[in-house]
Amino acid sequence: VADRRIAAFARGKPVTISLEGDPVRAYEGEPVAVALFASGVKVLSRSIKYHRPRTFFCLDGHCAACFMRIDGVPNVKGCRAPARDGTRCERQNALPSASFDLLGAADWLFPRGMDHHTLLARQPLLRPVLHKVVRELGGLGRLPDAPPAELPAVMRRHLEVLVVGGGPAGLSCAIAAARRGRKVLLVDENDQPGGSLFAEPGGSDRARQLTAQARAAGVELWSSATALAWFAEDEGGLLTVQTPTGLAKLSADRTVYATGTYDQNILCADNDRPGVVAARAVGRLLLRWGVRPGARIALVGPWSYADRLGPALEAQGIAVVRVPAAARIHGSTWVEWVELADGSRQDCDLCAACAPPLPASELARQHGAEVGGQDRAFAITVNDAGATSRPGVLACGDVTGPATPEVAATHGVQVGEQL
Amino acid sequence: VPKVIVCRCEDVTLRDIEHAIAKGNRDIEEIKRYTGFGTGPCQGKECVLAVANILAERTGESVPPFVSRPPIQPTALKYFARGHETRQDPPPPAPAAGKAR
Repeated sequence: VADRRIAAFARGKPVTISLEGDPVRAYEGEPVAVALFASGVKVLSRSIKYHRPRTFFCLDGHCAACFMRIDGVPNVKGCRAPARDGTRCERQNALPSASFDLLGAADWLFPRGMDHHTLLARQPLLRPVLHKVVRELGGLGRLPDAPPAELPAVMRRHLEVLVVGGGPAGLSCAIAAARRGRKVLLVDENDQPGGSLFAEPGGSDRARQLTAQARAAGVELWSSATALAWFAEDEGGLLTVQTPTGLAKLSADRTVYATGTYDQNILCADNDRPGVVAARAVGRLLLRWGVRPGARIALVGPWSYADRLGPALEAQGIAVVRVPAAARIHGSTWVEWVELADGSRQDCDLCAACAPPLPASELARQHGAEVGGQDRAFAITVNDAGATSRPGVLACGDVTGPATPEVAATHGVQVGEQL
Repeated sequence: VPKVIVCRCEDVTLRDIEHAIAKGNRDIEEIKRYTGFGTGPCQGKECVLAVANILAERTGESVPPFVSRPPIQPTALKYFARGHETRQDPPPPAPAAGKAR
């Protein structure tokens, strides 16, 4: 299979990873999900119930579609696992293999779905057998090869200002607050700050600029640091953050949630078919990782991000078709064409789901902030200074209402200048 | 076999959601408990809005998200196994009087 990588693109040093023992070319630091896609691997896993084939969807560490067994550890996100020489990847939930999974029969045996409330009821003779079948069908991965060698370190810190999320809003907010003399810690889950900018044309440069400005302003930056939860009961409230070296238990005079949004899928028949990926995942493939996502890409759905993604794809000679809404996704394993409501078809080799994104409101909500109803897409409610309904809890950027990265950055500055 | 997947983590289909509504469930927490949508490793990041929209269409009312529970990302148990700190930097202030909630 031809390599999908764009030749003129700065990468790490070439390494070799393996997929179920077969060597696969990769570049150091490239996520294994990207490396496998670039090498033509179409199926990364099988789904939990119907064993439908799956690949990555969001390529942003949120959707759990790319879980793999990596170096003997189950349920590792392939989009977050950096390729190193010798990284071992295996696909989960399949018998005998993800490419040909006998358990995929479940999809055909239950065309109308399984109702687990009644599935095993009134089946006295079959029940013992069915229990075994269900046990084999269900579950997510197998136990790790070995228990952890040692437990992660745990640290405790109190801060003046804690910013959660290092996208355009969080970085801009942290810079503005630090320039006013505030001591700021910014935690970000990605390997480098920038967030949604990495899905935008010119965004990688902007991310590097903002990161340099944050460092110069004295912002303490933690990368690969994933905020996990707000525990209200502990020590007056703690935000726990998983870091490369352990667990940090953080509290702050003021906590700013700049957590951005999650990519959403379109709703149509077979919308989980491999090759249907989030619009911003297509942007990340091309702009962050230098991989050609496809040769003819259907942008399906109403989200305005398509207006920025389309020209970026066309600049690489990729054909783009806009489809307002799909009725069904077709293809044997990978997407081959999109069926529209009127029955017409659009051929494509990739389908970018352009559904409006969902504000990542969970942490702010756990911390006591309120959201608008579903008519506001669950955005955090804030005043002009970014204050939520909870004292000491602020929010800025897309989590307060999805817009563009420029709007998010402006909002971040506005909130940071009042900290 | 064509299926509209609403919740990818738990393979919950549009048909499952409609079945749960037809069974009399009207609250997003009830639909979650009945179908298992939003209970997988992503904890609703890809499905809660879709289900809220479906439910709002059927009931004509604005729908809140279901309660978010910690942790919001799949986390190895080893991170919570130790419990106590191994390092404090700098020491935290005295806890605020009374419970946070």
